[in-house]
Amino acid sequence: MAKIIGIDLGTSNSAAAVMIGGKPTLIPAAEGTTIGGKAFPSVVAFTKDGELLVGEPARRQAVTNPIGTIMAAKRKMGTNHIFKVNGKEYKPQQISAFILQKIKRDAEAFIGEKIEKAVITVPAYFDDNQRQATKDAGQIAGLEVVRIINEPTAASLAFGLDKTKQDMKIMVFDFGGGTLDVTIMEMGGGVFEVMSTSGDTQLGGTDMDKVVIDHIVETFRKNTGIDLSKDNAAMVRVREAAERAKIELSSVMETEVNLPFVSYDQTSGPKNLEMKLTRSKLEELINPIVERCRPSVTKALEDAKLSPSDVSKIVLVGGPTRIPLVRRFVASVMGKEPESGVDPMEAVALGAGIQAGIIAGDVTSDIVLLDVTPLTLGVEVLGGLREPLIERNTTIPTAKSKIFTTAADNQTAVTIHIVQGERPMASDNASLGSFNLSGIPPAPRGIPQIEVKFDLDANGILNVTAKDLGTQKEAKITITASTKLSKEEIEKLKKDAELYAEQDKKKKEEIDLKNEAESYIYTTEKLINQDLKDKITQEQGIKVTNAVKELKDVLEKGPTEIKSKLDALKTIVNEISTELYKNVTPPQGSGQQADAGSQKNTGDGQNTQTTGTAQ
Amino acid sequence: MSTNATMEKPSVDELKAHLAKEQETVVSYEKKLQYLLADFENLKKRTELDVQNGVNSIIDEIMLKFLSIYDDFVRAKEALAKQKVNTQGLAAILKNMNSFLTEYGVTPIAALGEIFDPKLHESISVKEEPALDNDTITAEIRKGYILQNRVIRPSLVEISKTTKTDLVGENNG
Repeated sequence: MAKIIGIDLGTSNSAAAVMIGGKPTLIPAAEGTTIGGKAFPSVVAFTKDGELLVGEPARRQAVTNPIGTIMAAKRKMGTNHIFKVNGKEYKPQQISAFILQKIKRDAEAFIGEKIEKAVITVPAYFDDNQRQATKDAGQIAGLEVVRIINEPTAASLAFGLDKTKQDMKIMVFDFGGGTLDVTIMEMGGGVFEVMSTSGDTQLGGTDMDKVVIDHIVETFRKNTGIDLSKDNAAMVRVREAAERAKIELSSVMETEVNLPFVSYDQTSGPKNLEMKLTRSKLEELINPIVERCRPSVTKALEDAKLSPSDVSKIVLVGGPTRIPLVRRFVASVMGKEPESGVDPMEAVALGAGIQAGIIAGDVTSDIVLLDVTPLTLGVEVLGGLREPLIERNTTIPTAKSKIFTTAADNQTAVTIHIVQGERPMASDNASLGSFNLSGIPPAPRGIPQIEVKFDLDANGILNVTAKDLGTQKEAKITITASTKLSKEEIEKLKKDAELYAEQDKKKKEEIDLKNEAESYIYTTEKLINQDLKDKITQEQGIKVTNAVKELKDVLEKGPTEIKSKLDALKTIVNEISTELYKNVTPPQGSGQQADAGSQKNTGDGQNTQTTGTAQ
Repeated sequence: MSTNATMEKPSVDELKAHLAKEQETVVSYEKKLQYLLADFENLKKRTELDVQNGVNSIIDEIMLKFLSIYDDFVRAKEALAKQKVNTQGLAAILKNMNSFLTEYGVTPIAALGEIFDPKLHESISVKEEPALDNDTITAEIRKGYILQNRVIRPSLVEISKTTKTDLVGENNG
C-alpha cells in the first residue's frame, strides 16, 4: 500500500502530513524545526552561481538577494506571470514545483519509501485555472495529484467534523501570517460545499508583530532618547523578544521584555531595555488589527445569506488564532466558541494528510480503525471510592485485572459495582451494572484474594469476572453498553471531572483518611484483644481503648477531628509497641506495625483495597 | 425426505465453495495481521526516532536560551571594557561558559570574511564594497552556532555586493 501525502501549499509557509499508524503526522522539514514549527517558508531562491534554494535557506538570504528570491508565488498561480531570474524564466507552477519537490524529498526521507502521489490544498476561492496550475506544479515535481481539496475542508477534516454525520454550516476563520480567509461551508453526508468566501490579502500576524515591535521601540525612545530602529543588531533582539512576548501572553497575563546592553550611549554608558508587557496592553495594541477582520466575517455571512446563529461549527486556522483576543473576537461575533484540540498552524496539512489517507485506504481500513475507550472503567471500593481498571483513551481490545479483598471479618460475599467516568467517587460516575460473588470462606478482613478482571473487546463489550483465588469460585457479567454513551454524555462526564476536580480530590482524601482510621481501629483492637492481650498492662489497655473509642466517636465528623484522634491513637500504640520491643529482637516478618499503619498496600504489589460492603 | 436430506447434507461442491470462501477470509486476515504487525514494528522504530528528535529539540531549545544569556555576558564585558572597568571576573565566567558549550558540542559558525552560505548564515543587511568578492561577510551581527551537525542558530550577518544593481528586485508576488 503506497503512502499518499497531504500537502498544505501555503502563501507564506508550507507543510505536509502523512497517515502513520492511523494518525495524521506532520512531516518535519529536513533542516529542522524553525520559527514556523515543522512548516517551512514557501520561498524559492537562485544564487548567483545558479544554485537552487528552497525553504529556510532561501528565506535567510532573501533580504540581500531580492532579485533572485521568489516569495508568495502562490498569489500568481493560474496567471501568465513570469518570474525572471538570472536570465531564466519561470512560470508560477514551476516555482511551486520546487517547493513540492522539497516536500517530496523530505517526506521520502521521513517515511522511508518512495512517494509518488499527493493531495494538495488550495484556497476555497481558487478558480479552475488556479487549481489546474496547482495540479501541474505537482506533476512537474513528480507527484501525481490525486486530489485538490479546499483548505477550509482540510481544516474541518483535521477537527473531525466529517465524523459528526450531521448536516451543518461551518465557518473556517483562517488568519495567517499575511492573509485572512473566511469561508462558510455546508456539510451534508460528509460532503463539503463552499457557500461563500471573503477575506483580506493584506492582513495577518506580521501586522501584529509590527505594532508590538513599534511599541517596544517607542517606549525605549521615550525613556532614553535612543532610537533602536536604526540599530540592526538591537532590532534583531527586539523582534525576537516581541515575538516571544506575544506567544507568552497567550498563556500568561504578564511577561517581561528584558534586553540587557541593548544599546550604548557614549556619555551615559550601556543601556538596558527592561519593560513589562501585560496581556491587556498587547490586546490594546493589536485590537485595531483584529477589528479589521470584522468586515470579512460579516461579508462571508451576508454572501451565504446566513446569520451567525445558523453556523454550528467554527474552525480556527493559522498562528494568530492562538491569541486569546482573536479567539474571543470570533466567539463574540459568532455567538459561540470555536472548535479546539488541533494546532491551528497544522490543521490544513493534517487534514490534507487525512484526505490522502482516505484515498490510500489507510483510514477506511479496519486495521487502523482501532477504537479507544472514551472514559475510565473501574469498580466501587470501600468508602464509595472508584478504583480505575481501564483508563480512558486505552486502545481496545484490552484486558486488565486487579486483586481486591474483603472489608469486614467473615465476609462471605462481595458486590462488584462497575462504573464509568473520571471522578474519584463511584456515585459521581455512570453505573454500568453490578453483581455479587458469594461463597467466600469466612476469614478475617484483608485475607481473601479476589481477582477482578475487565476484558473489553474490539466492539466495546465489557466482560467483568470476579474470582476468589482461594476457592477458584467465580462470577461474571457482560456489559454491552460500555462505549455506547453519546458524544454529549461523554463530554459531560469529562467536563464534570474537570469542574469538580478540586472538590473530588478533597472528598477522596477525606474518605481515604476515614478508611485508614477504620483500618487502624480494626488492627489496634485485634492487637490488644488477641495478640498482645497478656503482654500489656491494664493501664495501657484502658488508654488504648479510650483512644480507640474517641476515634470511633469522630468517624462521622470532619477530617480535622479524625486526623487528630487518629494521630493520638497512633502515638499511644507506638509508645506501647516501643516499650514491648525495647529489649526484644523483633521477630522476622511480624509486620504488625505495617498492618496497623496502612491497609492500602502490602508492599508485594498487590492492591488490597477492599471491595464493596459485607452482604 | 430427499429435500430435507439435501438441506442437511450440503453437496461436495457447496462444501468446496464454502471452504474456498473461508480460505479467502483466512488469507485476508493473515494479510491484515501482517500489515498490523508491520505497522506496529514501524511505529516502534518511529517512536524511537521521535523520542530522539524530541530530546534533540529540547536540548536545542535550552541551548538557544542559554546562548541568549551568554550573549548578554559578552555584551556586558564589551560595555564595561569601554568604561575601563575591570572585566577579569566576567572573562572567567565566559571561559567557563565556553567550556560548557564545547563539552556539549556547541560550536560557533565561522562568519567574518567568509563567503555567505544560506545554510549557515542569515543576511540582514548589505554593503556596497567593490573591493570584496560578492557575498563576502563584512560584519557579524549575531554569532551563529552548530550543535552536532544541526544549525541551532544561523549567524546574522551583513554581506558585501560589488555594485548597487544587485540590490533591486521585484520577485515577490
